[in-house]
Amino acid sequence: MKPYRMRPGRLIAKAILALAGFLAVFPLVWTALNALKNNVDIITRVPRLVFSPTLANISYILGRDSVLTGLCNSVVACGSAVLIGVALGLPAAYAVARYPNRFAGDIQFFVLSLRFLPPVAVAIPLMVIWLQVGLYDTLPALIVTYSLLTISVIMWLAIPAFQGVPKEIEEAAFVDGYGAYSVFWRIALPVAARSLIGAIAFSFVLVWNEFLIALMLSSSNAKTLPIVASELSQQGMNVPWGILNASVVLLSLPPLLFLGVLSGFLNSVFRQKKS
Amino acid sequence: MSAIVCSHVDKAYGATSVIRDLNLSIEEHEFVVFLGPSGCGKSTLLRMLAGLEDISGGEVSIGGKVVNDLDPGDRGIAMVFQNYALYPHMTIFENIAFGLKRQKVPAAEIRKRVEAVSRTLGLDPYLGRKPTELSGGQQQRVAIARAMIKTPKVFLFDEPLSNLDAKLRNHMRVEIARLHQALKTTTVYVTHDQLEAMTLADRIVLLKDGVIEQIGSPAEIYRRPGNLFVAGFIGTPNMNFIEATVSRAENGWTLNGARTVISIEGRGFDLQHGERAVLGIRPPDLKTASGDAGGNLLLGTADLIEFHGNDALVTFGSGGKEISALVPARECPELRAPVRYAFDEESIHLFDVSTGMSLRKRAN
Repeated sequence: MKPYRMRPGRLIAKAILALAGFLAVFPLVWTALNALKNNVDIITRVPRLVFSPTLANISYILGRDSVLTGLCNSVVACGSAVLIGVALGLPAAYAVARYPNRFAGDIQFFVLSLRFLPPVAVAIPLMVIWLQVGLYDTLPALIVTYSLLTISVIMWLAIPAFQGVPKEIEEAAFVDGYGAYSVFWRIALPVAARSLIGAIAFSFVLVWNEFLIALMLSSSNAKTLPIVASELSQQGMNVPWGILNASVVLLSLPPLLFLGVLSGFLNSVFRQKKS
Repeated sequence: MSAIVCSHVDKAYGATSVIRDLNLSIEEHEFVVFLGPSGCGKSTLLRMLAGLEDISGGEVSIGGKVVNDLDPGDRGIAMVFQNYALYPHMTIFENIAFGLKRQKVPAAEIRKRVEAVSRTLGLDPYLGRKPTELSGGQQQRVAIARAMIKTPKVFLFDEPLSNLDAKLRNHMRVEIARLHQALKTTTVYVTHDQLEAMTLADRIVLLKDGVIEQIGSPAEIYRRPGNLFVAGFIGTPNMNFIEATVSRAENGWTLNGARTVISIEGRGFDLQHGERAVLGIRPPDLKTASGDAGGNLLLGTADLIEFHGNDALVTFGSGGKEISALVPARECPELRAPVRYAFDEESIHLFDVSTGMSLRKRAN
């Protein structure tokens, strides 16, 4: 009797899920399709699913120097910031998680508070600082600034990940004769790896998509891809929708690639060598 | 030479004192069990031996060497944890070999020793698997293998069986006992299970609130509990306690309490006229008495009967006290029938009411 009565409820639930899935995926699919359309096919009153595809938008995007520079800047700035975030953030998170002192709580709060502030409140002072230092509109300025974000996000997410590693496992390694650093490398990192990958990926996506700070810290040389992409829509009355969509696709690919590569890479690093 | 010596050992977390002025020496090849209720400091003491907790005061030496400031890896110990603490990302082989790798033992020898140890513990089929693919008992065996392979001076076990189900626990207990017979490695074993303590230990160290209540062989602790706490903690079912007033009589002493008068010769005890004492009798020491039997008797009406198989635990009210007797099942009375139980003077224990200390004369 019960499954029979459950049926309408399940149907409704599935319908809602399907609708939510559609809402999430459709704009992405539509953007990808639009990137392959001529402008005529995009601005038509009746949306077209069947059209003659063109690579003109994509080749236009890839052919523009500003886009390639932006892509380069984005990859270097975000990549370096994530590397710095990993190199400094993970050990810091481990220290806070495993060797808490009286400042541990304050450190955690401070790290989190960097994300509480409205980005403008952070961006304006940073802009002034970099102008004074003479590094305004350079990649190093962007890398250092983004490192602040990646370190804080990685720490924030990695502290609970390290706390989730059973303490006895680390103690067993101490009894086996290993020191604190070996325990971090050989036990804590691999055991927490799954959650840490998430933390690192999240920090990458965050800085990759970052717009406001990049906008305020760059005028020409250090522009990142989101800035360049947004500029494409400001070229007069006639909005080049196809080109805009193509740039969005270009913008979305690296984080996806990064996620795939990163998870595969970390898996292979921490898989024990067969002796 | 003693394998482990603790002298005046203290442990405090801030203002809270967990272990106070503890003195203990453990002989070589001995199997010592730290037993006590939860929170008595037994695990803390073990972790101090292992080097996982700082020693707040006093001195701990292992194998004649003071180890207070040595890292766990340099103390010549191996430890088995309650939740096994296997390295989840390594295979069973790597788990067992991890300690040897640190000691820079050549790979060929590591392989030989891991294979030997895993054969002893029946682990050879699982060497390539990950810990999560093993059952609880197998994981515990891996943890023991990991400890064994280092051929330590001392084995430390921290409640190793409490995560296993009852049947497996019995099985592993026997395995640990066999292992100790074979290896003769000095062992310190923490448990709150008195059955484990009684069956495994050469000596039991009974702890309460960070203080040693009594040290002795299982038989000593069972037969001659040094105080009320030990008497109440050791033995299942629990010892019966009856408060009584001691008075001198013609041929010895009488104990007057719970509306019964008990006469004893009292040669084994230090008694004083008029003092208050606690009389302790273990339930198995109460024997069913025939209708015309004389001597010391406890009378009452059976109000609860628990059938244990061979035996039955009869609980009866006597002078406002609940008393239990463990009798052979065939002697089991009807519920609410009057019962009479006799006991020998040899089987009684007497304690001072105020201090709780045993009133038994010290053996010279």
